[in-house]
Amino acid sequence: MESASIPVRPTRSRGEVVREYISRFGLIALLLILPVLYGIQDLQDDGDLSRLATNMKDGLSNGAIWALIAVGYTLVYGIIELINFAHGDLFMIGSFVAYSLMGTVGLTVATGSLGLVFGLLLILLISMVACGSLNVMIEKVGYRPLRNAPKLAPLITAVGFSFILQNVGLLWLGGSHRGVPDLIESQTRYTTILGVPVTHGDILALVVTVPLFFFLVNFIARSRIGRAMRATAQDPQAARLMGINVDTTISFTFLLGGLMAGAAGLIYALYQTDVWFFAGFTAGLIAFTAAVMGGIGNIKGAILGGLIIGCVQQISDNRIGTEWTPAIVFGYLVLILVFRPQGLLGEQTREAG
Amino acid sequence: MSTPEAQAEQDRLNSGPAILETQYLTKIFGGLTAVDGVSFRVPARSIVSIIGPNGAGKTTFFNMLTGLYRPSLGSVIFDGKNVTTRRPDQITALGVARTFQNIRLFGTMSAVENVLVGQHARLKATVFGSIFRTPRVRHEERDGEKKSRELLSYVGVNARRHDDAASFLSYGDQRRVEIARALASDPKLLLLDEPTAGMNPQESEQLTQFMRKLRDELNLSILLIEHDMKVVMGVSEQVTVLDHGEKIAEGEPQAVRHDPRVVEAYLGKQG
Amino acid sequence: MSTTTASKPRGIKLPRAVGKVPLSRIIAVVAVTIAILLPLFYDSGSAFIEDSTTALIYVVMALGLNIVVGFAGLLDLGYVAFFAIGAYTMGWFGSSFFTSQDIHIGVAEFLQAQPGIHLNWLLILPIAAIFTAFAGAVLGFPTLRLRGDYIAIVTLAFGEIIGRIAINSDEGVFGIGDFNLTNGRSGINPVDKIDLPFVERFTSLNFRPWYWTALGLALVVVFVNFRLRDSRIGRAWIAIREDEVAAVSMGIPTVRVKLLAYAMGAAFGGMAGTFLGSWFGTVNADQFEFSFSIFVLAMIILGGLGSIWGVVVGALALSFINTRLIPDVLNTVPSKIGLDFDLTELGFGIFGFLLVIMMVLRPQGLIPEKRHQAEFADVLEDGGEHETIVETRV
Repeated sequence: MESASIPVRPTRSRGEVVREYISRFGLIALLLILPVLYGIQDLQDDGDLSRLATNMKDGLSNGAIWALIAVGYTLVYGIIELINFAHGDLFMIGSFVAYSLMGTVGLTVATGSLGLVFGLLLILLISMVACGSLNVMIEKVGYRPLRNAPKLAPLITAVGFSFILQNVGLLWLGGSHRGVPDLIESQTRYTTILGVPVTHGDILALVVTVPLFFFLVNFIARSRIGRAMRATAQDPQAARLMGINVDTTISFTFLLGGLMAGAAGLIYALYQTDVWFFAGFTAGLIAFTAAVMGGIGNIKGAILGGLIIGCVQQISDNRIGTEWTPAIVFGYLVLILVFRPQGLLGEQTREAG
Repeated sequence: MSTPEAQAEQDRLNSGPAILETQYLTKIFGGLTAVDGVSFRVPARSIVSIIGPNGAGKTTFFNMLTGLYRPSLGSVIFDGKNVTTRRPDQITALGVARTFQNIRLFGTMSAVENVLVGQHARLKATVFGSIFRTPRVRHEERDGEKKSRELLSYVGVNARRHDDAASFLSYGDQRRVEIARALASDPKLLLLDEPTAGMNPQESEQLTQFMRKLRDELNLSILLIEHDMKVVMGVSEQVTVLDHGEKIAEGEPQAVRHDPRVVEAYLGKQG
Repeated sequence: MSTTTASKPRGIKLPRAVGKVPLSRIIAVVAVTIAILLPLFYDSGSAFIEDSTTALIYVVMALGLNIVVGFAGLLDLGYVAFFAIGAYTMGWFGSSFFTSQDIHIGVAEFLQAQPGIHLNWLLILPIAAIFTAFAGAVLGFPTLRLRGDYIAIVTLAFGEIIGRIAINSDEGVFGIGDFNLTNGRSGINPVDKIDLPFVERFTSLNFRPWYWTALGLALVVVFVNFRLRDSRIGRAWIAIREDEVAAVSMGIPTVRVKLLAYAMGAAFGGMAGTFLGSWFGTVNADQFEFSFSIFVLAMIILGGLGSIWGVVVGALALSFINTRLIPDVLNTVPSKIGLDFDLTELGFGIFGFLLVIMMVLRPQGLIPEKRHQAEFADVLEDGGEHETIVETRV
């Protein structure tokens, strides 16, 4: 039998060719469809894109908060492959801590700017540290003993902690929403850029989250502990053999995630001027979705996911109706994973061999 | 330097039907070409070895043969059928079975159950039949278990170990169970990925004899990836050498062994 | 019989068998007998029987989810969707919801005059099973290419989407048309009570027929689970769970087999849903929240993932803790120890606390799958201090 000397491409069915095209362009189309659709509608109705731009701006501000929480999910998942269901409720505790401290430190709407800035900085630090330590404690008590257990066992522990934290919140500030003093006048317009009103709340979100993201990404990329975290995430056994203290590294990861959640709690409290014991559940769900959307384990992915969800939410709330927003956000998640099963920035794992 | 007998053997192999044939099989991962245009055939009822330095692309090649990887170029033809784009389970159903470089048994299942899973493609029980345990399903299960135990004994696993959880078996037994599991689907072609890894010389010799037994008694064709030269020289009728994804030599063992390109690939340039 | 036993049984000192009958079978027979006779020792309107009925339906739910998560290893966090579809099926075909229709099959006389579609529960059961099996396959399909934990979020997402559809579909679905599919938050009520031939009428006062029906359903599902587990398809599921690459290389068509797991698991959830729809007498969107999915998942992990009796025990345990232990403790403990505050606000916190304690103390579950006992042998032997050679993969 003679073998052919001409290289033969394995034949692909028409379905596969179509699927490949859909895959390549579908994702981009998916991400652009809402802005483009409503952009066109705006141009027709208003003659300019300011309404869409405002939606996007609000979306980015909200999304930054989700991104901060999502980063905590993705860090923990990256290192021990655990979906920390309690993380959203940790954020909620952070918001409660921030709210309570406002009273303790004596910040009111009458406080002068300098006092306000220093006061809030102090509260930010304390909230972050509180959540960070709480997270470390939860890991030590609930997850570390289950390191060798079936993979789903710590998931249930996380759920248990989620319920406990929610109950703590319930007992602390009651079951109804609590109004937070509008210390920074979060809805007041600070400036207008390109026809889009930028409020104090937006500035706050920007000013706190961007440095934190920069810090986080660089810290993990450059520092010794960051390297240890990445090594442990890739191969805990090998990391241990290289002399890395895996337990400490994992605790530190939880600390980092908790710090971010605490910061998010403060921003949320000031931005929304509202705290509620059940907000953590919703926030956690959104943040987890964001982390997965971006490729779980990938920090930049989590940030990207958070921002995207923020924008989708805003457009949906503003144009379609708040009752459909959760379904639309989840629909986006599913479709993104259909086009890109590893998430937006996730890595495809090669299994065989 | 080959003897007339060896030459005659080569002629027989080259002119006979091939159980497996690849044409310009290629796999490209992003920027890396792992397998580059390998055309190759396994004559029916023969034992063929693929050798080459580490990283030569051997396991990637295997994975394309079994459908785990989709070739970038080229085709795979098994028993006359083009299976290039088929799924792994379809290829197994057609008669290809394999073992893995790192043992991949189902650790919490017993040895018998592992081999029963190997029979999946040959069993016909449906959900309905399983729930109601129709007579046909009952007989099928009984026969399946019997066949599993026979296969386990055939490969040399002591009957006392048949019901042990696979992860509790000795390394040697685990390798044997993997082979039994592969044999369970009544394959025509058996792919063994480094079957003697971790074995001492006696065990390797036993395996070599066992492979001959499989070829002769069960009419199997065997394709193996192997590093142990003694095994390769001892059991192969044909040896193919891969280096950096390319086929650099092929032929009967003695000829290949002295091929300067092969020596260079393994030892580096001389002088 | 292709059951497996690790060759190193863990240190329980009980006899393995009495005569030729294995101990586990004896215990099972005794337990089932007690279960059958139980209502006779209580009033027909007893709250205990009421709670037991609910617990038994949770057993069905948990066993359904066990097929997906326990056998096939697919982390499904959206199981509430199938409860919903089953319950709404009961609502659509067993109430006066569709007032413009007038179909009656197999129902009692007093219902013949009512408008709407009224089918006997025994007819609705298979309909719901088919609906949910189909839904299970459809919802499972996008997850096939995803890695393990991504399946979790996608299934969770689907659960939420279905929940949203339930809330919003009183005027058209997704804003299309104005057909009232679910009546939103008000829901569908009243829902017909179950009506079995040759049996006295089901009422809201006498829990006994409800209990026995639930028990019958649960026993059937347990039976089917055992048959499936020890069959060709069961082995295929477990193979996929252990090592998907090896499984597909052994000839297992993973797509088909996974979809089958989703479909079967969903079908059981749907059937349980029809019962609950009738049992609660109402079907409304507030019943279908994510916490339900987690609740059922907790049952199977607590009970012992993959282990059929373990899941049964886990479901009973958590259900009773939820309906009896916590309310009782919360109501009586404070006064017993001389405190004067209302513990009812601590309900779910205590529940969470119990979850944490149970998992930390016994992570492998109450009655672990026999296979996992083999895995845990290594861990327990050296106190978990050393890395196990055996990978504990769920």
